[in-house]
Amino acid sequence: MQVFKLSQAELDSMIRHFGSLGMVYTPAAGKQPSARTDCAPGWQPADGAPLALATGPSATSVKTFFFPQPETMQTFSVKNNYPDRGLLREPETLTEKQIVVGLRPCDARSVLLNNLPYREDPYYQANMARTVLVGFTCDAMCSTCFCDRMGGSPMATEGLDIAVSRLDHGFAAEILTARGEELLAGLKLTPAGISELDELAGRRQAAPQADAAGLDALKERDLNRLYEAPLWQQLGESCINCGACTFVCPTCYCFDVQDEVVRGTGRRIRYWDSCMFPLYSLHTSGHNPRGQKMQRTRNRFMHKLKYFPDRFGPFSCVGCGRCVKDCPVNIDIREVMGDLLTVE
Amino acid sequence: MTNQTSETSKTSQTNWEPKIIAFLCNWCSYAGADLAGVSRFQYPPNIRIVRVPCSGRVSANILLSALKSGADGVLVSGCHPGDCHYISGNYFARRRFALLNNLLDFVGIEPGRVHFSWVSASEGEQFAEVVKKVTDKVKTLGPATRLVKSIDTVQAA
Amino acid sequence: MPTINEQLTEEIRVQARKLLADKTVAAVIGYTAGSLPMTVKPAVIRAADDCGRLVWNSFCVLNLANYLPEVLKSVEPPRGPRDPKPTGPLPKVAVMATGCWSRNIVVQIQEHQVERERVVVMAIGSRGMVSRRKVEAHFSGREILAVTELDHELVVKGADFTETVNRWSMVRDNCQTCTHPDPVLVDVRIGAPAADRKNPNPFKQVEMIEARSTDERWAWFSAEFSSCIRCYACRNACPLCYCPTCFVDDARPQWVGKSLDATDTGLFHVLRAYHCAGRCTDCGACESVCPMGINMRMLTKKLNKDVLNLYGIEAGMQPDTPLPLTTYKPDDPQQFIVNEPGSAKEGA
Repeated sequence: MQVFKLSQAELDSMIRHFGSLGMVYTPAAGKQPSARTDCAPGWQPADGAPLALATGPSATSVKTFFFPQPETMQTFSVKNNYPDRGLLREPETLTEKQIVVGLRPCDARSVLLNNLPYREDPYYQANMARTVLVGFTCDAMCSTCFCDRMGGSPMATEGLDIAVSRLDHGFAAEILTARGEELLAGLKLTPAGISELDELAGRRQAAPQADAAGLDALKERDLNRLYEAPLWQQLGESCINCGACTFVCPTCYCFDVQDEVVRGTGRRIRYWDSCMFPLYSLHTSGHNPRGQKMQRTRNRFMHKLKYFPDRFGPFSCVGCGRCVKDCPVNIDIREVMGDLLTVE
Repeated sequence: MTNQTSETSKTSQTNWEPKIIAFLCNWCSYAGADLAGVSRFQYPPNIRIVRVPCSGRVSANILLSALKSGADGVLVSGCHPGDCHYISGNYFARRRFALLNNLLDFVGIEPGRVHFSWVSASEGEQFAEVVKKVTDKVKTLGPATRLVKSIDTVQAA
Repeated sequence: MPTINEQLTEEIRVQARKLLADKTVAAVIGYTAGSLPMTVKPAVIRAADDCGRLVWNSFCVLNLANYLPEVLKSVEPPRGPRDPKPTGPLPKVAVMATGCWSRNIVVQIQEHQVERERVVVMAIGSRGMVSRRKVEAHFSGREILAVTELDHELVVKGADFTETVNRWSMVRDNCQTCTHPDPVLVDVRIGAPAADRKNPNPFKQVEMIEARSTDERWAWFSAEFSSCIRCYACRNACPLCYCPTCFVDDARPQWVGKSLDATDTGLFHVLRAYHCAGRCTDCGACESVCPMGINMRMLTKKLNKDVLNLYGIEAGMQPDTPLPLTTYKPDDPQQFIVNEPGSAKEGA
């Protein structure tokens, strides 16, 4: 692994250099001034201006680059005079490199977690293959951040191709993968000296570490026993069943599939769905196994804290705190986890 | 998606003719259109008629669906106030259309994309007049682009 | 000397406790403390002992009328889908209500979602709710760790700063221009009736958009809604949205596509607003809960303006009159009809 030291100017010119290798996206600061179809909400194509990141994660998560909203799976035509009428065709797999700059360690970790259920999904894998992640470690945590409790750390580099960390003077860029190396090929960068490496190690040591004990306690808990606990009723009663938490969540990956036809041309798309919506679990018969609000609210937490870990190991939460911040009724997953540990 | 090129390049065609969806109530305007035909009043062939039981049946969903599907103009026509076959359907419709018309204007849909008219069963000539007026107006506006769904746009991240 | 909100909180607790203790109501819908600065949690209190959890402050931005139909149903004795409605009075529910929320309850009564006899309105004159987004924008980039509310100031604390800001300057736009801050339904009065706002001009923002050209308005609309993530928080926070199946979930025909296509997103917002025409009380819940900070309230506000100008009706102000779109007058304005004499499009 190589570590380079960068000044602010060098960092900015490095990001500009990425522009020659593929599309470069950075978190958008504030509201978009004009309509854009070239980028997902919360992100913007890098414009060459110096990158100024706010503390904590970006407004929307990095999952939008792995689960495009929508993802075209097949195209077809229903025009009568077309010889291949009704034939499903695979669209060309997108291979153009997309370079995401400015994501945080929590989001980087979510890409790995989502890869567990999607490891055989060709669309996710294609997006993995064409996306390079240039992350910025956190030198401060927000009050809503809790990555350390979910097995991450603000200084972690897991899942990133290049990790940029702030130093007292300038930045340190750690090259973590071959793809990261490719991005920097041809750039003249100064390798970090002993003092920078020491400072980086010191910062990493001083940062909050993954708190295994707290996690183990929740994992050992028999959450199925709490399936009928009254706390779900209380949560469900205040929940308004919007999809804000699931759509800002980096590790909520549920989708729905449908065909869209416009003037004879069709595409089969995959788009985000949310377990908070009644339609998500509605059967064709009209029966809905999660017909009540409370059942849907419960399912989201049970999936993150019980079903996913049962199947794949880690919790399906990286502690970015977006749902905590954006929930209209202040349902706080940290409090829910606390309650699950204490309630009998 | 090469089969979309003919759609997208319609702006560049000089002989572009608008497609206008006309929702006509069964009892007055549809009969008025019929009379226009029987009486050989000529009107532009740009309208595609959808017969509805009453102008009150035409909801915002239906009207905007027409725009979304690529109609360059929309006309909704019903019985004159007081003449509704269902007594008051067009009165209710009138309130809804007034608000919808203003709202569409507010979000920047060009005035003249969406039209409303009252045409009775005996007004064949008036129907032809309305269609002429609406077609002329839509022609000056050019092809619709706003709130028109297209699926051949570049897929963004 | 306790602040106004501390006094209101105390009064709410006393009254709620009384209502629950003497079994006047089976549940109280109110707010409890939130886990973050400037947040509160809506809660349904069913025991008199729990009333100490209730709070009142300037951050109660969600409209509690939203919960009313569901909570009313939850306190009814359980019965199967085919069982007849029980005879005799059903249990009541108490709900905190400011001016706009009480008007929403009126609309719910008009639309037969709620029975007046079963609701006990705990009426609170609104002093305007604070916009969390405005405060955060004011301290842009600096994280807010605690906010203490005084009568006319907010004391905002971060890791390395403490600043006092004027409360009114942070109040939501809809509250600043509110014309009916005091509840129209009053069963239990909490605190003093609200004074009318000074010079509200409720439609100023709408007029500013109206003054633009068509192209400019389209540019505004496209940009404003381009950041929508389709989470439907605006819809679900709205007490007017109670359809069992929303039009966005209809599949045949599908009115609105499901992904982030600009047309689909735009159509969703136009139709969502339009469904609130003549019913919206401008409570601002939709805007307050939007995770992307979209000002979708402009659309409903425009409709409110037109309903008032054309039909002289403000939603929820006249319980005994029908809603504007469920009635008509033979001489309603119709300048927009293309073949009417004097129509705006005549000669175009």
